[in-house]
Amino acid sequence: MNQSHTRFAHPIILAAIVALLALALAACAQAPAAPAQQPAQQAQATAAPAAKQAEAPTAAPKAAQPTSAPAAAQPTAASASAGGASGALPKLQGDKFVYWGGLIFSDKANKMFEDRVKEWGKQRNIPVEVVMVNQNETVQKVSAAIQAGNAPDAFDLGRDFMLQLNAQNQLVPLDDLYKKIGDAHGGWLDPVTKATDPKTFNGKIPGIPFGVGGNVLFRRTDALKAAGFDKAPDTWEELSKEAAAAQKPPKTFGMGFALSNVGDGNLTTQMMQAWGGRVADDTGKKCTIDSPETRAFLKWITDAYAQNLFPPGVTTWDGAGDNNAYQSGQALFIANTGSVSIWMQQNDKELLDATKYSVLPAGPKMRISTQNPQYRGIWANSKNKELAKDLMEFLADDKFMADYYANAIYGPVLKSEQSASIFQTSEVHKGLADLAVNGTAPAYPDVDNAAFAEYQNNFLTPKMVQKIVVDKKGIDDAIKETQTACQTIYDKYNK
Amino acid sequence: MAEQAQTTVQQPAATGGMTLRRRNAILGWLLVAPVVLTLVVLVVYPFFYAIWISFTDQMVGSEAKFVGLENYAYLFHQPVFWTTVWNTVILVVAVQALKLVFGLGISLLLNQPLRGRWMWRGMVLLPWAMPAFVAYITWKLLYAPIAGAFNMILLDLGAQNYVDFLGTKELAMPSVIVATFWRGFPFWVISFLAALQTIPNELYEAAAIDGASAWNRFWHITLPGLRHVILLVLLLSTIWTANSFENVWLLTQGGPSDATMTFPVLAYYSLQNLRLGEAASVSVAMLPIFAILAFIVIKLMQED
Amino acid sequence: MLTRPSRAQRILNYTLVALLGVFILFPVYYMAIISLKTPRAIYREPSLLPDGATLQNYAQLFGEMDFLTNFRNSLLVATVATVISVFIAVLAAYSLVRLKYRFRNAVGRLILLTYLTPAALLFIALSVIMARIGLTNTLQGLMFVYLTFATPLSTWLLMGFFRGIPPDLEEQAMVDGATRLQSLWLVLIPLSAPGIVAVTVLTFTSAWNELLYALILITSPDLRTVPLALNYFITGDVFRWGLIMAGAVAAAVPVMVLYYLAQRFMVQGLATGGVKG
Repeated sequence: MNQSHTRFAHPIILAAIVALLALALAACAQAPAAPAQQPAQQAQATAAPAAKQAEAPTAAPKAAQPTSAPAAAQPTAASASAGGASGALPKLQGDKFVYWGGLIFSDKANKMFEDRVKEWGKQRNIPVEVVMVNQNETVQKVSAAIQAGNAPDAFDLGRDFMLQLNAQNQLVPLDDLYKKIGDAHGGWLDPVTKATDPKTFNGKIPGIPFGVGGNVLFRRTDALKAAGFDKAPDTWEELSKEAAAAQKPPKTFGMGFALSNVGDGNLTTQMMQAWGGRVADDTGKKCTIDSPETRAFLKWITDAYAQNLFPPGVTTWDGAGDNNAYQSGQALFIANTGSVSIWMQQNDKELLDATKYSVLPAGPKMRISTQNPQYRGIWANSKNKELAKDLMEFLADDKFMADYYANAIYGPVLKSEQSASIFQTSEVHKGLADLAVNGTAPAYPDVDNAAFAEYQNNFLTPKMVQKIVVDKKGIDDAIKETQTACQTIYDKYNK
Repeated sequence: MAEQAQTTVQQPAATGGMTLRRRNAILGWLLVAPVVLTLVVLVVYPFFYAIWISFTDQMVGSEAKFVGLENYAYLFHQPVFWTTVWNTVILVVAVQALKLVFGLGISLLLNQPLRGRWMWRGMVLLPWAMPAFVAYITWKLLYAPIAGAFNMILLDLGAQNYVDFLGTKELAMPSVIVATFWRGFPFWVISFLAALQTIPNELYEAAAIDGASAWNRFWHITLPGLRHVILLVLLLSTIWTANSFENVWLLTQGGPSDATMTFPVLAYYSLQNLRLGEAASVSVAMLPIFAILAFIVIKLMQED
Repeated sequence: MLTRPSRAQRILNYTLVALLGVFILFPVYYMAIISLKTPRAIYREPSLLPDGATLQNYAQLFGEMDFLTNFRNSLLVATVATVISVFIAVLAAYSLVRLKYRFRNAVGRLILLTYLTPAALLFIALSVIMARIGLTNTLQGLMFVYLTFATPLSTWLLMGFFRGIPPDLEEQAMVDGATRLQSLWLVLIPLSAPGIVAVTVLTFTSAWNELLYALILITSPDLRTVPLALNYFITGDVFRWGLIMAGAVAAAVPVMVLYYLAQRFMVQGLATGGVKG
């Protein structure tokens, strides 16, 4: 042990700590550079020619312009909403424009959307970052980002989430833009207008619709024909009879509908409403689960369960449950947004050919087939509100949307979009287009408010069914408990 | 030795009142500071922030308003809360019991002179080596009635219908427990195996001479030798199990009919409704259980 | 244990080991064969055998899906987080075990308690902190956040190792003229090397497999870690089973290699004192 070591023992430690910090800093400096070198990597090399064409330009504008952004702030964002002409656009604030799109199960559609936003950035000479966020995580990611103060300038969001965010004043009112886009495309479809009624959103229009999601009934014609059923069932009761007659357990089961705590499970709320049951009264404040109609609905669905018409596992299916059941050929009927159809096109033509689509059946009281429009919203604290509006106008382009719809699983929102060829040729898209026109408004006949959204988010209807089929409780107890739980939620909004 | 002499000259015990004791204390603080600072910024602050939030009506994007115990009152009045407490306790206790019994058994087995012992030990680590969520969706697929391995086997063996492992009240929790056990037991085995190496062979030899039975040797030598590691692993593993979200979320989403609802999943539902205050109160409500547990284990460890 | 086991005993042992092998390997086997199947085969022709095996999923994973980038990200994040946390944990553990000062026990307990806090409780505040220091959506931010669980665990386990090593040797070194820190570097660390390796491997594994924080903090596709990328193969309501399983198999490889290399150290290391406390 030599002397210098002895002396410098402490400095060595210090040096090590400094070195460590330097390492961390070096990592900080280096790592952002590294990914930037491979900007085109996400460009998916699907055989699709459309994707190929688009690949080259996307790689270009990533070399971030240094942010010499002059402090010439944009003119008070809110009031100037009418100005959309690209000439009068304000300068970009910050180093890039950020958009979070909703990832769907169609690589082509995701890619098209990404390219379209990048194309806009190129035309406006703005660096953009467009990220496709898995829809399963949108709520968590956007929530955390809003709390942290770094949410994207604009993002795709479902209607429930829009309702909730708007209640917290996190979205920019887009009334003028909504009108402008509507006027330029022959007007919005009536149901879309209804779903976007400012009355529901504290007198504002907080988002621009871009597609109508919802469920289409898929049916296996081969198995049903063999049992003598040629046409689509018109009512749920017909459906359960056909299911009972045509299914051959354990190979096939009739009713591939989730009864679990996932979005798909809330189809049961629609069924309950089709029977005439209601979650709450017309004031939207008092729960009215306890009704003869709800009882009748519960009787039907739990009888069907007792007859083994549901595939095993439905009480804990995740969002993919109906997809899996149908794709494996074990479900005769499912209600699906269309992802199953895309999957079959890619992987299973035989099953695709055996599939037909129709509108959801009616109950004894009425037919409920809820539309679930998807929106684009602008974050209230975005520094680039005018740019975001310009982008939304750019995206609402008939030619682009026609191509997009052909690869996505949405119905049209604008009248001019109805003529897109996919809505005339593809069976499942015909179903979605029909849903966009003839479906029922969100929550209808219930009052569409935040309490209803929370009722749905807590999956109280499927849980009510679970109480009977899983817990073996009586219908009366299940109704009573659900009524209490429902009122607890509604009371949070009654204060 | 010259160096030594110089060192002592340079560091006289009394220079400027800097006693050795004092210098050690300063050095001690200096060395522990990076960890303490990191944890204060990354854990302690967020922790108190979350506790504060649990006393407010904070929603995403809104101003937080102090509401006292309102979130807790709301929580405790929901029937699902007590189900959740019960389920969490069952899950944690059952999984730890399984891990303890099988962890001991497997580590004793792998401590035997076996051909390819290293290979077997490596194999045990496999479940631990993959991301938790992959492990659990694999189990979801194993349990699935459709295209699920277990049901394929059962049907091949002549079963008349599918077994709904995750969708029935009786089987859902046991199924979650088995999957959680599968993913978590390697840590126990490897720790026990390690501790077994520290028990001196002479003890066993002496016991053998005294004619002690295998059971006696296990009970009086092996188990006491493992006492400390058992406590340590028990504590860590309990924390992991109680906090684990993916196992329940991916397998059952807390269903069917809340049969597997645990704290992390319940908090997740509150978050879906943007109710940060409520979500925080759910997580905070779980802390007392942890605190008691940690207290007991630390006490037991200090007794050694 | 020390006497040669009887024949019956050996038969029993091998039977039990075989059973254990089935229990552990069956799910892994199922993952592996799914990773070799086409999407259609997974559903329409479910089977316990790898019928019609294809490498299509792996090709797609490393081609179109650019899984190597995810690999690189995970490797970078897990390595840096592990190195930093083990380094500062060694210093802290030494301080807490060998030096005497006020509040020492309190600090030790604090470190353990921080390990008790659920991630679900922390992530909103953490995302706020990360945003303030401008580290959201960066790998550095993720490295930093991983210290929340990596540091307490490493410190705590290392304290056990250090305690298990008698201080005589270090004292001897100090009598011979070494400073405290020299005695740490030159005596204690070499002696507890196996323990440090064990802690490193454990920390690396937990960082390699972490999902929740990555999900919240990372947005850009080119910054996604391995678990995050796999999570994205659950696209909306479609599980791309083939891709997920292929990714899982590929992701397990580095960890298995690491365990294989560190194996001897792991058992020996945990044995030298860590678990003795």
